Amino acid sequence: MIVQTALLIGLVLFSVLALLVKDLLRSAISLAAASLLLGIVFFRMGAPYAAVFEISVVAGLITVLFVLTIALTKAGDEVRESRIANVVFPLVFVAFVVIDALVMKSLLGKVPALAAGAETGSFGEVLWRGRTFDLVGQIAVILAGVFAVLALFRKRDKHD
Amino acid sequence: MIILFVALPLVVAAVLPLVGRLSRRVLPDLLANATLLFLLVYAAVAGRALIAGGPVLQHVAWLGEAVNIRMSLDGFSLFMLLSVSLVGLAASLFAIDYMERYGDKATYHALYLIMIAGMNGLVLATDLFSVYLFLEVAAVASYALVAYGLGHDELEAAFKYLMLSVAASAAVLSAVAVIFGLTGSLDFAAVAAALGGLDAGPAVAIASALFLMGFGLKAALIPFHAWLPDAHPSAPAPISAVLSGLLIKVSGVYALTRIFLNVFGLTPALSAVLMVLGTVSLVVAAFLALGQKDMKRMLAYSSISQVGYIVLGIGLGTPLGIAGGLFHLFNHALAKGLLFLTSGSVQHATGTRDLDEMGGLAKRMPVTSAANLIGALSIAGVPPLNGFWSKLIIIIALVQAGEPAFAVIAVLASVLTLWYYLLMQRKAFFGRLDPKWAAVREAPFWMTAATVLLALLCVGIGILFASTVSTWIQPAADVLADGVRAAAGSWGF
Amino acid sequence: MTPKMLLLPILLPAVLAAVLLVLPRTLRLLRDVLAVAGAAVLVYYGFVFFAAKDLRFAVPWLGMGIDFDLRLYHFSSFILLALAGFLLLIALYATVKMKDAPRSREFMAYVFLTAAFANGAVLANNLVPLVFFWEGLLVTLYGLITIGGRPASGRTAVKALLISGFCDFCLILGIGLLWTIAGTATMSEISVAPTGPAAAAFVLMMIGAAGKAGAMPFHTWIPDAAVDAPVTFMAFLPAAFEKLLGIYLLARVALDFFTIAPGGAMSILLMIVGAVTIVLAVLMALVQKDLKRLLSYHAVSQVGYMVLGIGTAVPFGIAGGIFHMINHAMYKSGLFLSAGSVEHRAGTTELKKLGGLRREMPLTALGFTVCALAISGVWPLNGFVSKEMVFHGALETGYTVFAVAAWIGAIFTFASFLKAGHSVFFGERTREVPALRESPAAITLPILVLAGLCVLFGVYNKLPLTLFIQPILGGHVEAGAHLDFTSHALDLFNPVALISIACLVAAFLIHRHGFLKGGRRAHLASEPIHNLPGVRRLYDLAERRVFDPYEQGVKVLQGLSVVLFKAVDRPIDLVYEKIVTVTGAKLTGILKKAHNGHYANYLAWCLAGLIIIAGVVSLLAK
Repeated sequence: MIVQTALLIGLVLFSVLALLVKDLLRSAISLAAASLLLGIVFFRMGAPYAAVFEISVVAGLITVLFVLTIALTKAGDEVRESRIANVVFPLVFVAFVVIDALVMKSLLGKVPALAAGAETGSFGEVLWRGRTFDLVGQIAVILAGVFAVLALFRKRDKHD
Repeated sequence: MIILFVALPLVVAAVLPLVGRLSRRVLPDLLANATLLFLLVYAAVAGRALIAGGPVLQHVAWLGEAVNIRMSLDGFSLFMLLSVSLVGLAASLFAIDYMERYGDKATYHALYLIMIAGMNGLVLATDLFSVYLFLEVAAVASYALVAYGLGHDELEAAFKYLMLSVAASAAVLSAVAVIFGLTGSLDFAAVAAALGGLDAGPAVAIASALFLMGFGLKAALIPFHAWLPDAHPSAPAPISAVLSGLLIKVSGVYALTRIFLNVFGLTPALSAVLMVLGTVSLVVAAFLALGQKDMKRMLAYSSISQVGYIVLGIGLGTPLGIAGGLFHLFNHALAKGLLFLTSGSVQHATGTRDLDEMGGLAKRMPVTSAANLIGALSIAGVPPLNGFWSKLIIIIALVQAGEPAFAVIAVLASVLTLWYYLLMQRKAFFGRLDPKWAAVREAPFWMTAATVLLALLCVGIGILFASTVSTWIQPAADVLADGVRAAAGSWGF
Repeated sequence: MTPKMLLLPILLPAVLAAVLLVLPRTLRLLRDVLAVAGAAVLVYYGFVFFAAKDLRFAVPWLGMGIDFDLRLYHFSSFILLALAGFLLLIALYATVKMKDAPRSREFMAYVFLTAAFANGAVLANNLVPLVFFWEGLLVTLYGLITIGGRPASGRTAVKALLISGFCDFCLILGIGLLWTIAGTATMSEISVAPTGPAAAAFVLMMIGAAGKAGAMPFHTWIPDAAVDAPVTFMAFLPAAFEKLLGIYLLARVALDFFTIAPGGAMSILLMIVGAVTIVLAVLMALVQKDLKRLLSYHAVSQVGYMVLGIGTAVPFGIAGGIFHMINHAMYKSGLFLSAGSVEHRAGTTELKKLGGLRREMPLTALGFTVCALAISGVWPLNGFVSKEMVFHGALETGYTVFAVAAWIGAIFTFASFLKAGHSVFFGERTREVPALRESPAAITLPILVLAGLCVLFGVYNKLPLTLFIQPILGGHVEAGAHLDFTSHALDLFNPVALISIACLVAAFLIHRHGFLKGGRRAHLASEPIHNLPGVRRLYDLAERRVFDPYEQGVKVLQGLSVVLFKAVDRPIDLVYEKIVTVTGAKLTGILKKAHNGHYANYLAWCLAGLIIIAGVVSLLAK
């Protein structure tokens, strides 16, 4: 339970960090870390395939892609956040967390138990057997990622 | 074979890099456009026959064994497929000349086709998780396409787009999770049935709010709109056209509509929220557009405003309102695609998007300027162009449903729309020709052809709007209106 | 004669417009021939339709009671004929006057497109097609003004578009309301009493119709357009087409859709609008120094007579209002065309620079004089007859004050035309203008035709009254109330006519007094009135706006509290030109500042939006 809590806290921390740091590169790395932690949480909760997709697609591909694109931009071009934004965002975020916690607390009691029997078998089986159409989507995402890397790393011969 | 709409562009995209080795320009151009043309013809010719006997649910068999791929095609999805293929083809034709200077066309076309495949997949999906997945397919491809120019602005816009899009995906995913937790199912029909017998109003309300935020972000409804005015202008013109004309509608409006009208059922509360969101977007974005000096930024804000119209019409939930909203969706896809393409022609010719630097370009680029004028007038709702009819239908629907206040706002906002489009016309195309544009020439053939095609469609549909509505819009609106009736009063609201 | 023929007056000009637009400049002769021949065909069919009287063409269109429904009956056939007649004259005139204008091709195309839309609006028998055609007119209006090519043309065009757009917007709202109340969109089936919400619908539709005709306070673009738009346009739209259409619709609104009763609130409202328009606009016209501007203010003032006439709701007054509409279209077109003729040769229409042109341009002078006497209501011209009918009608309602306002209008109308005619065609020849010749036949012919019609309709007034006007009223007057034009003795010797003649004499004395006082210079004849204490300031305020509307706007805003009741022009103009724009800009500025490009900022909005939506949905769910 402690590990779980620590992982969740780390997840939130890295997510917030990803938003607040001024350097785009660090921001992207924080995002990757957050995704990685999320993947671990999935694993621990018994959803290995979700974890694999999370880590492979989000943490892996997109982050790599954007670390690289950011590396392509000139140094010193980081986005400057104003002070007000730095104050306003945490405030709204805290408000959001509080309201979210309150809502979830009252909500959790009301959610009925999962309807059993509709989809049996282990989670993995469900994913592979029952959700083949998603594979098409996964393939498409990976294709898109590959082409995105190709596009962003092509020689900029004619266009500057 | 409904799966062709997803599989064909994906397969073509996969082979395009190999083709690109053989021929740097001609073959990729030809292959990509031929694919889109085929899809357009297939949707237009075979589509209506397919759904003549009601919605089609397809199970795909692979080597004689049934694999679990399920897709469904009904009036609404067919209508969206048609819109996607039509505007997609026009933008792709435009790209033949426009993307010349960006290099590596094979990759461009491949990403473009993946984006189309993602949109088509979303439209054909029958369960909530597939919706999420194809949302991501289209989104990932679009990030790379926005950044295709590789300039600093493009990369920064793409990054901002990515970051806010991730928030949208997160919201959608959590909503899917809540629904899955409540009903134990992801399939549209099963979820709708399960929600009907469930007394869990608050949980569904939270899920609705999450969906609204997620799809609202994708559709760029205010206050979820902030990424769009950066992302859309930075992209290459054909991509701007597809993003504004199609992507925000498929991944935002379509998904929103499908889930709220056919799965959750449009309750009075949701209807009120949607109408207010639509109206706020409509008015605020119109004012924002008024203050822009960058031509494409103005168009981007205008997209937010027009999506407001669409959501207002659909959110109203009466059959006429839905028909008007969908018709406006189609018209806006055509006209905004056209406007972004012409802005691309202007940028191609002059190298600037700043309205203050332009002026008198109508003398040098008559076709582009005329096409732009048609697009602008169509969106502003000037008869007899197509945009006039869809706005008129929405306004009539509002009045009929006893919402005169919304009707008045909608009419006043369309005056604002006319205002900023006239501003754009005056600054860019009319007035005195700046001597520095003396050498500017009309855009190359395919760029002009694509804009002329869309402009003709705007005029043609305006004149033949009655048959367009009855052939394409009405079946789509019927599907949604049936959903509203069937689901009304369910899940404890 | 099949019902389908009704599409001809719409499709023929529309197709012609397209053809005229694409014909290259080198084929100008062909273009002119096509335009004139097309208009002539329309005139021919105008007569055919007038003879046919009753035709109905309806096809289902949008469902829900929205049919593409065209109906020809005596009123619409009469307007159709009049529209075609003016189109022919304007087309003929434009072949010469617009010959060297930079965008003459577009001008012709717009003119024919306008004709197509106007014919459609007149024939429409369903509210939705009516709106469709009515809005189309807005576009051509904008296009036609921009053709003026002056630096301010674009701005004036936008002003006209916004003002007319506002009126049309009111019209649409009114139509929506009427549709709901009546439960049908078929115009010939609508007839409701103007009470409760229907009264609101009536007022909204009245604004739409009277605004199109140019009644106060929706007139401010017309004097601007007089300077910035081609003079042919002025003779075409504000003088003829818009009056015909606006008054046609007003008559339909006041008589068909709603049944207003004499002495009722709606009737009095209309009469007030009419009387105010007559007096204020004619006072503005009196002191104008430019012939075109002077005429344009009269184009506004005369609308007042028509609105007043229809507003009396007395058969005789209504007949007078409608008769005045057709008369006005004839002589005001004639006057604008004469002004155009003078401009064509002399290159200016400023009164100060002109003088004594009657010898060099006798035909134009003759046409102008006849039309000017007609508009002033001099016996036996047509203006005399229709004005007398309006006077009679106003008196019949019992509200003498409106008749008095109409008489005041008559005094100053004549005074200002004495000044205009005297300055341009009579008096001494000025040196500013070199020697010149009469304009070519294509210009003088339309003027003389119009002048001839003015005489014809005046002397043989029974002819148009029984042929055109009486059938229109046939359906509107209660059964048994036979309309008898002879009982009112439209001749010289009755008390009403004598008062009118006294007005003319008074006008002459005013002019003579001013003329002598101004050192025998005719263009200064209005100065004594202009210089009356208090009045001077009022005029200055109105005039300053004219010279520099945007810069002066701010000053007038500051002095608004002082002059609010005096400068009626200014505050109205302010609403159109300043308040809307500035509020828009302010709001835009605030919103733009909020978009500062900070990602966290944007995400905060999204989260806030999520919280609010979740709250609202949950609350509403309970």
